[in-house]
Amino acid sequence: MTFKYGGYAGQLLFADLSKGTVKRIPLEKEWCTHYLGGRGRDAKLLFEKQDPSVGPLDPEAHICISPGPLTGLLGPTTGRVNVAGRSPLTTIYGNSNAGTNWGPELKFAGYDGVVITGRSSTPVYLHIHDSDVKLLDAGKLWGEGVFETTARILEEHGPETKVAAVGPAAEHGVLFGSVIFDFWDAAARTGLGTVLASKNLKAVSVRGTGAIRVADPEGYYETARDGWQAILDDPGFKTGEHSALGTSICVNWGNAQGWLPTRNFKESFFEGADKISGEEFRDLYSTKEAPIPAGRACFSCPNRCKRFGRIEEGKYAGTKGNIEFEGVSAFGSKCGVDDLAAVFHAYMLANDYGMDCISCGNTIAFYMELAEKGLLETDGLDLRFGNADAMVEMVHRIANREGRLGELGAQGSERAARAIGKGSEAYLNTVKGLETIACDPRASKAFGFGYAVASRGSDHLRAHPVFEMLKMPEGVGEELFGSKESVDLRKYGGKVRLLAWHENIAAVTDSIGSCRFMHASYYAEYPVPELVNKYAKRKKDPSNIHSIKYHKWFEAATGIPMTYEKLLEAGDRVINIERALNVQWGLKRSQDTLPPRFLKEPIPKGPAKGELFDPVKLEEMLREYYTLRGWDQESGHPLEEHLKKLDMADVAACLGKRGLLGSGKGTSGGA
Amino acid sequence: MTKKLFFNPARCTGCRACEVACSFKKEKVFSPELSRMRVVKLDEEGVDIPTGCEHCEGAPCILICPVRAIRRKAETGAVVLDGSACIGCKQCMVVCPFGAIHFDPTRKAVFKCDLCDGDPECVKWCFTGGVSFGETAELPAGKRHRTAHRHLKAQAEARTGRGKA
Repeated sequence: MTFKYGGYAGQLLFADLSKGTVKRIPLEKEWCTHYLGGRGRDAKLLFEKQDPSVGPLDPEAHICISPGPLTGLLGPTTGRVNVAGRSPLTTIYGNSNAGTNWGPELKFAGYDGVVITGRSSTPVYLHIHDSDVKLLDAGKLWGEGVFETTARILEEHGPETKVAAVGPAAEHGVLFGSVIFDFWDAAARTGLGTVLASKNLKAVSVRGTGAIRVADPEGYYETARDGWQAILDDPGFKTGEHSALGTSICVNWGNAQGWLPTRNFKESFFEGADKISGEEFRDLYSTKEAPIPAGRACFSCPNRCKRFGRIEEGKYAGTKGNIEFEGVSAFGSKCGVDDLAAVFHAYMLANDYGMDCISCGNTIAFYMELAEKGLLETDGLDLRFGNADAMVEMVHRIANREGRLGELGAQGSERAARAIGKGSEAYLNTVKGLETIACDPRASKAFGFGYAVASRGSDHLRAHPVFEMLKMPEGVGEELFGSKESVDLRKYGGKVRLLAWHENIAAVTDSIGSCRFMHASYYAEYPVPELVNKYAKRKKDPSNIHSIKYHKWFEAATGIPMTYEKLLEAGDRVINIERALNVQWGLKRSQDTLPPRFLKEPIPKGPAKGELFDPVKLEEMLREYYTLRGWDQESGHPLEEHLKKLDMADVAACLGKRGLLGSGKGTSGGA
Repeated sequence: MTKKLFFNPARCTGCRACEVACSFKKEKVFSPELSRMRVVKLDEEGVDIPTGCEHCEGAPCILICPVRAIRRKAETGAVVLDGSACIGCKQCMVVCPFGAIHFDPTRKAVFKCDLCDGDPECVKWCFTGGVSFGETAELPAGKRHRTAHRHLKAQAEARTGRGKA
C-alpha cells in the first residue's frame, strides 16, 4: 500500500486479545502532521481510544509499541521504538523508549506500530511476518526468562526475526516489568512489560522484508548524510570516549561533577566509582577488539553506545550482555556496591527477569538505607550498603515476589514505603511514583527541575538537558535561554526555558524515531553548535561543527512541510497531550515536586558539597514553567486557550467535558 | 590491480547503515532485504558480522549461470549480474558460499553486489572499518607495516621505560 506521506508505512496493527482478532487501521493525517508518530501519536491514540476509568492492568487497557516515521531509514540514530500505555507503577502516563533493530523490522513489515488491547485466555505471542500476522500459543514460553524466550522464538521463526519479550517478573505482576527487544534493548521504565503480561502476551516477534519510501529521496539522502556527518564531526564524539565506554562514561564523569547518586542518594560522590566505571568494564569484560571495544550500535547509528561484555570466570562466570550507565549506578553506586561483576550480574538478572533495573536497584538501595536506620525487618538478609550478595539476592526475591521484602519491593519503593511506614517515606527518591535516575538533582538544577515535571515521573529523558553539563560559553546560554547562569550546572537562572526547550526537542526525537544522544550528549542540535562557534573564545573549525536540521530531515522523509518553529510546537503539543492524559488519570499539581530529601538535605560531601534544590526556587520555576506550557497555576491543568493555539481544540473539548481544563483564574496562561 | 570489499567483524558495530545505504543507492528505497550486503547479527553473543560478495577469482556463480547473466567486469574486477538476462533459476544462490546473491520476487530475478562501479556506497557509511574498500595486492603490505610500527612503538616505550609494570 502507498501512504500519502513518506517514511510512514501508513497503517497500525490493532490486536484485540480478548477477541483473538488482529485488524489493520490506516494512519490518520493528524497523527502525522500534528503528533509526528512514535511517542506523540501513541499519546494521542491513548487519549482517543482509552476510557480514563480503565485501570493499567484491566483487559481494556491499550498498549502501543511504535517506531517513528524516520525509524528504519538511513540514519543517524533511526532505530528507536516507543512503548506507551497507562503505567501500573505510577497509574499515570507510562512510556519508555528503546534503541533497537525491532522498530525498523516492524516498519519493513509494513506497520507504524502495534496497538494491543484485551486479554487472552491463554498465553500467546504475536508473530508478524509481513502481511501474515498470527497469534500463536505461548504456553511453553510462559515462565521462561527473556533470553530463553527470545532464543526459542528465533529458533522457531528464523534467526533474522526480531523479538520483543516480557519476562517472569512481568508475569508475576512486578509493577515495573520491562519489554526487552532482541535480548538486550530495554524499554523498561514505568512497567509496561507488566501491562503486556497482564494481557497474557509473552512476545511480539516480527520479520519484515518490505521497503520504506521517502517523499524526497535526494533531499533525504542529503539531510541524513549531513546529520550523520554532524555527529562524526562533533568535538564530543571525536574524543572517542563515549564510543569507547558507552553511557558508562558517566560513572567517572558524574562522580567528578558530583552528581553520581550514592547509597540511596544520601551522597552524590562514590569512592568506589573507579571500580564500576566504563573504563573498568572495558578492561575486564569487553568482548570486542580495539578500536571499538564491545561497541555495538542500534540501527543505523554512528554512536555505538552499547557495551557488550562477558564474565569468563569466578562466581558470576557466564554472565553476558549489554550494560548501560543507569543499571550500573542503580545496582552499583546507589547500593554502595563497588563489585562490578556483581553489578553486571544483577543487571543481567533484571533484564532476564524482565524488570526495570532503575526501579529495582533503587528499591534495593532504599531498603538498605531503611536497614541502616533500623526501620526494616530484613527477612534474614544483611541489607547493608555495599553488600553485593544481599543486593543480588534481593533481585531474585523482587522478581519472584518472594518473602515480605520481595512482595513489597515488586510494587516499587513508594508503595513499599507506605506499607512499611515508620517515616520511611523520608528516604524515597520517587516523583509521581517513579524512582529517580542516576543523576543527583541537587547537583544539576535543570535535571532536577526536569524530574519534578517529567510526564512519566522522575526522569531525565523527557528532556535530557545535558547542555548544563557541557561547559558551554555563557553567551550561548544567554542567547538561547536568557541567562548566563544556564550554562552552570549548579545555578537556577534560565533553567526553566532550558528545560522546556529540551523537552520539546526530546518529544520530537521520540516521536520521529531518532535518539536523544544526538541532540544532547553531542550538542549537535539546531542552533547550539552555531552559537558555540559564535561565542567560543577559540573558534572550533566552523566548516565542520554544525547542527542537525531535524525539520528538514523530517520534511524530506515525509513530505509534510516543516519548520524549526513548527517542530518545537509539535514538541509542545506532545507534552500537552501527555499532560492531558495525566490529569485525566488523576495527577495533582502537588505531584510536580521533588522528594523531600532533595529539598531539605544538602549534599554532605564531594564536588557538590552543600548543594540543595531550593524549594522556594522550585515553586518559582514551576510558575514560570506552567506559564510557558500554558497550564493553570493552581491546578496544573492545561488551559483551553493554549490547547487551541496548539490546534488541539478536540483535546480541549474533551477535557472540558470531563471538567479537567484549567480555570485560568489569576494566572498568566499560554505564553 | 583490483580493489575489493574487506569485511572485518572485529570493527563492525552492527549498525546496518551499509544495508539501507545500499538499498537506497540501488533501489531508491530503504530495505535491508534489497541490500547487496548484509550484517549478520548474533545478538545473543553480542557479535556482528558483515557479509557480502567476495567477487571470487573462480566465481562459482559465473560458472553455474546457464544464461551467462553473470560475468566479471574488466574495469573493476567485480562479478556483475545482468538482471534482465536472469531467468530466475537461482542456481547461483545455491552455489554461492557466502549467501551474497539474493532473489527479488518483484522482478523475478536475482541481484548482487557490483561494487557500485568501483565506488561502493556501503563504505561511505562505515567509518569504523567494518567494511572497507582497498587494493587486494596492498593488503599484506599494509598489515606488515602496521606490525612493524607496533614493534617500533614497543621499542620506543622500552627505551623510555614506559610499559613496564
